[in-house]
Amino acid sequence: MDRRRFIKICAGSTAALALGVPRVWASEDYKEFENALLTDTSGSPIKASNLGSEEAYIFHYPYKGLPCFLINLGKASAINLPLAGDPLVEGNSTYNWPGGVGKGSNLVAYVAICTHQISSPNKDVSYMRYAASGSKLAGGPGKIVCCAHGTIFDPAEGAKPVFGPATYPLLPIRLEYNSSEDSLMATGMAGHHLVDQYFKSYKRDLIKEFGPGVYREGVGSSTTTLLLSQYSASVPAC
Amino acid sequence: MEKEQDLSRRNFLKLSALTGALTVGGVATPSSAFAKTVSIGKTKAALPKAKGPRLVVVGAGTSGLTIAKYAKKEYPKFDVVVVEKRDMYSSCFSSNLLYSGIINLEFLADHSFLDAAKNNNYLYFNATVTGLDRDKRVVVTSEGEIDYDFLVLAPGISYDYEKIGVTDLGVMAALRQTYPGGFISPTEHITIRRKVQEFEGGVFVQTVPSGNYRCLPGPYERACMIASEIKKNKIKGKVLILDANPQITIKQTGFHAAFDELYKGIIEWKPTSAVTGVDVEKKIIHTEFDSIPFDDAAIYANVRGSTLIEHLGLMAPSSKSNQKEANIDTRFYNYVGDPHVYVTGDSRPHPYSKSANTSNTEGKYIAKVLAARAQGKEIEWVSPRTVCYSMVGADPIEAISVDAGYDYDPAKDLITGFSKDTKTFEERDGAKGKATLEWAQGIYRDMFDS
Repeated sequence: MDRRRFIKICAGSTAALALGVPRVWASEDYKEFENALLTDTSGSPIKASNLGSEEAYIFHYPYKGLPCFLINLGKASAINLPLAGDPLVEGNSTYNWPGGVGKGSNLVAYVAICTHQISSPNKDVSYMRYAASGSKLAGGPGKIVCCAHGTIFDPAEGAKPVFGPATYPLLPIRLEYNSSEDSLMATGMAGHHLVDQYFKSYKRDLIKEFGPGVYREGVGSSTTTLLLSQYSASVPAC
Repeated sequence: MEKEQDLSRRNFLKLSALTGALTVGGVATPSSAFAKTVSIGKTKAALPKAKGPRLVVVGAGTSGLTIAKYAKKEYPKFDVVVVEKRDMYSSCFSSNLLYSGIINLEFLADHSFLDAAKNNNYLYFNATVTGLDRDKRVVVTSEGEIDYDFLVLAPGISYDYEKIGVTDLGVMAALRQTYPGGFISPTEHITIRRKVQEFEGGVFVQTVPSGNYRCLPGPYERACMIASEIKKNKIKGKVLILDANPQITIKQTGFHAAFDELYKGIIEWKPTSAVTGVDVEKKIIHTEFDSIPFDDAAIYANVRGSTLIEHLGLMAPSSKSNQKEANIDTRFYNYVGDPHVYVTGDSRPHPYSKSANTSNTEGKYIAKVLAARAQGKEIEWVSPRTVCYSMVGADPIEAISVDAGYDYDPAKDLITGFSKDTKTFEERDGAKGKATLEWAQGIYRDMFDS
């Protein structure tokens, strides 16, 4: 039911996109959550056209303890990519990633958990980052790198792994772009099994950072968005 | 092995008759307290009946834990039992970071075998393997016998003191206890940490063996960590690296830079200095050309496949392994001629780096091999990957790293060397220093969490 509704919604909303290319999301385990408006630290909606493209932004969605990347690619992403999720999770093998949103189809969002061994940003440090201008590990520009074991993800291609040990893409977050407001809304995600693993693996840390049970609470109707370098005290540039 | 067991049993019965009292299960009972003899035939291990093809994994290090978890994921019908002689985990990987205080023991040891088993739907069985009957597919343990459909042996390494000229068993035992190598067990790590913390000056020797020893950069990394303590505490002393090899075996540019720029006058590296003997009492290490007095030391003897592999009759001929490793298929790891028994991790004869990341990535591949074979299928060979960081600075933390794969030559059925996409990152920096810690945390998560 969710999936059918999701495809319908996506097909309808994406038809209104500037490029006019019909885009369809589809995933067996896609989940809708309460829509959350992306805001700045003062609570005002962020303006999509003001987002920089030199580093990733962090927002939490759909849970208070789940960090996600928002990235301005500075160029249009690929569209309608057939991708495969975790090969070891039954019924979660394939999905269609529709591409970036925004006026230039340049804005993408993913759960910021490495799908290899679930490294993830916290307030102290982030071993994952968007290396806009490249790095020794990433090679060329515009890749998400995980310093822990050297996986490189391509955010313009649904964050599929292009090098290293991860076997499937970062989990996609669905964004909706409101062109009249120039605002962004997070509306759902796919691949929830990894979130369960993340909550289990990091439970002690998450309780310490957010409080017992708080990390599993929904973010509500808005979520604060800030630069990764503002969120994590240290972002190793591997 | 069978003969030894029979002898043990006779001795035990004899002893029992002499003492005139026996206990059952460690607890004296009224009915048995005065029995003269008791029959102690072979017993089955106290495990539930297998619900599917039973996969027994011996050894809960990086290789065994990875295989147990991922074999179950790849083929959920597997009934997986992990047999491990330790009752508490503590990793060998990352242990060098203890010596400079970058990490504490909890970093290495706050990981439970029970949680790993619960999270990943297998059984942890605390026992020591003592025998193997491959015809009947039975593995014998200190806690009874276990039938298997597939057996994976991942027992790690043993030290080979004979290769450093120590053949006397008394000297070998003294050396093992007094100057441990620190590349196998947690108790060695704790001893070496105490040595470093109590070092008041003079010469601290770190030896580097020849051959494919565990953790190729490990001895050099450790020298850096000890040197950083000497530097920080302004101790009048140095670390003397006696290296059996003519050159640093891996990441040589990065290590030489660290020695010269961070630890000038504190680390002295002597190549082509294989240890040929040790006088434990007088604290003198002999090499081919020198006799070197020392104040304290970590003497890393050569490495061989675990003695368990030899005891179970699975050792390769010397033409295939000069380190007493297992006689297994190059690509699929089964004991040659037996598709039900596998040897993985650091007892393999391959020229792979004997390191955690190698065993972790190799383990995921072997899990696929086992899953395929349980279903009568075969899969293509995939190279393991060696992503390996070495901490060279402790204050601030700075590291260097390598990311290596391997090539297989089907004509020779041999691993021929590093793959073309192998990269080294030898400019030390803080980013890699921090990544070193997360590298380990990721592997812990991968082995212990669901």
